[in-house]
Amino acid sequence: MNPLNPTLTPARHWKDIPQQVSHRAMSSEGRRRVVFGGLKTAVIIGALALLAWGGVELASVFQDDPKKMPEVVKATQMKDLVLVTDGVLDQAWLAHTLALPKGTSLMELDLFQLRTRLLASGQVRAATLTRNFPATLAVTLAERTPMARLQVEDKAGAPQTLFVARDGVVFEGAGFDPKMTETLPWLAGVKLARQGGAFLPITGMEPVAELLAKAKLEAEHLYVNWRVVSLARLESDGEIEIGTKEGTKITFGATEDFFRQLANLDAILDAARAQPDKALREINLAVGGQVPVAFDGLSAQTPPAAGAVKPASSVTKPLLFTGLSNH
Amino acid sequence: MSSRTTFIGAVEIGTSKITALVGEYNGRELAIIGHGECSSRGMIKGAVVDYKAASECTHSALEQAERDAGERIELVFLAQTGGHLEGFYNEASLNVKAADNMIDADDIRTVSDLAKSKELPAGRMVVHNIRRPFRVDGRLIPGTPENLVGQRLEVGYWTVHGQEPRLADNIHVIRGFNLEVRELVLASLASGHMVTTAEERQHGVLAIDLGAGTTDYVLYRDGSPHTTGVVPVGGSHLTNDLSIGLRLTEGQAEKLKLRFGRAAVQARDKADKVWLDGNFSIGDRQFPRLAIEQITAARTWELLEVVKKKLGSAFSPETCAAGVVLTGGTAKLAGIAETAAKVFGVPAHLGETPSWVAENLRDPANNTALGLLYYGVSSQNERALSARRRGGFLSNVKRLFASS
Repeated sequence: MNPLNPTLTPARHWKDIPQQVSHRAMSSEGRRRVVFGGLKTAVIIGALALLAWGGVELASVFQDDPKKMPEVVKATQMKDLVLVTDGVLDQAWLAHTLALPKGTSLMELDLFQLRTRLLASGQVRAATLTRNFPATLAVTLAERTPMARLQVEDKAGAPQTLFVARDGVVFEGAGFDPKMTETLPWLAGVKLARQGGAFLPITGMEPVAELLAKAKLEAEHLYVNWRVVSLARLESDGEIEIGTKEGTKITFGATEDFFRQLANLDAILDAARAQPDKALREINLAVGGQVPVAFDGLSAQTPPAAGAVKPASSVTKPLLFTGLSNH
Repeated sequence: MSSRTTFIGAVEIGTSKITALVGEYNGRELAIIGHGECSSRGMIKGAVVDYKAASECTHSALEQAERDAGERIELVFLAQTGGHLEGFYNEASLNVKAADNMIDADDIRTVSDLAKSKELPAGRMVVHNIRRPFRVDGRLIPGTPENLVGQRLEVGYWTVHGQEPRLADNIHVIRGFNLEVRELVLASLASGHMVTTAEERQHGVLAIDLGAGTTDYVLYRDGSPHTTGVVPVGGSHLTNDLSIGLRLTEGQAEKLKLRFGRAAVQARDKADKVWLDGNFSIGDRQFPRLAIEQITAARTWELLEVVKKKLGSAFSPETCAAGVVLTGGTAKLAGIAETAAKVFGVPAHLGETPSWVAENLRDPANNTALGLLYYGVSSQNERALSARRRGGFLSNVKRLFASS
């Protein structure tokens, strides 16, 4: 239609005649051509699909098996090493740990072996290595957080400090801030066993880690005084023993609510501060509502000053003392 | 058309025979690489009357042509003839809209659309819109008038139209072979394009294609087709007249026509007789040569007179300086050029197939199929060229503003 003369309607043209004909109006040769045309289309579609499938297969083969890669791909050198981590490990540690030879190509890297090398450090909980073509190796790490420290002797007999994670894994630790590590309590009462040059994970570390984490989060003023955490009676009595800087031994029940025990402890320490002449020797929070507290220089029979030390949960109950004096 | 190689089929479904050619077109050159032929069945006066029979013959010719070419045809240019085809002339004019009177593409398109916009009777469809030269202020413009300066732009179209069912029948015969009909070309335009030169067309020439069932003609003036027409009478009517006049079967009459028929009476001796078969077989008999010539000549004269009458005022010896060119199977009738010259009052000659056409195809009966290929390809190229011209970025933007 002419835009300047929209009323003009051209007469019907022979091209308006539909060119479709019914199957029965076709000759045998015409029908044969239709079938042949259909087959041709199907073959072309099939060939394209086959080609696409082949491409996908080839790509997966190349991705999975570096040996099948063509030389051109192999010849492309790896240029970048990218680290993504949720912890403190850095690029230098990664490069040192992976120890990749210079001039290596991306496809020549054995990612499985490299991953094993990373996981050999107990600090790495999980590692993912990805080839980003053309020349980048991306490493994503998930790290363990230290909950306590351990002092061991290395093969030469020199003291060595190790760290223990929530899951009991013992690792050397790298990249941690010394100010942070100095606040970690020492772990005692554990038997370390070696396997293949590394220590086996410490069993039963989970409740200890939970206690330490809760103390650090909810009562940091208490936590900073904790020097030693002993697991000696954990397995037998279900008790976690804490040694403070002042020499007080605090016993926590591993199956009791840590928050309540910490609250009791805080209340007891507050009450004890009212008697500066008496030094606390032992507090046992593992026995339930009644908390036995022992002071230095007092016999077991000596009653405390009226209402001096009383846990918040047992205000109406008499305070119990252990019958042991400090020998 | 794209520059990739295309295998084009040219099909003429005639009353006596069906011709199929295969052309290899690479965007620049056209080479004829296959030829197929089949005696026609199911056709009367250029129209399909028995679909199955016509399909079988046409498909047989197409198969033969494909075998000969060794390639599969991709699309078809189909010749169209028949008594149902008619034509009329319609013209339009407009005042050039630009202030500086410079004619632009919009003016040309508008006047062309106006000239083509005549409504047709129900059931009829346009086969061709043949443009005659533009006129600017009465001045004849052989090419495009774009960018010329003038106040009034005129153009006329010779529109050829036909009955929809007749056109559809022919198309469906080809579709039955699972081929697309890309172009429907008037048989007279195809053969006329083949047997006339550009110079003849410029001076004015009448091309007459004498087929078996129909006689197609095209009158060229000023280098382009001026008038076309179809007379539903052809060589088969000569055969029919001989058959009735001499009491013969159609086959015998055809044989006599081919051997002794003439478009102008030459025999003087009434006693001069010719044998039907001439091989001394039983039943062979003699016929007066004069009678044969008189019958064929009278019918031929009459046929050409009908053509002249249908042309009417469009034809005059002054506007047809290049004379009459005759082609088609019936044009092989002896003396037909002399008869045509007498009827039209201008020189007449038999159309010659161009020398570059292979020897086996150099027959007047093949000129329509040959012309189909060349006319079809050149018209498609022209269409593609004008579409490219119209599709320019600036002209599109201009149209956008013009329509807003």
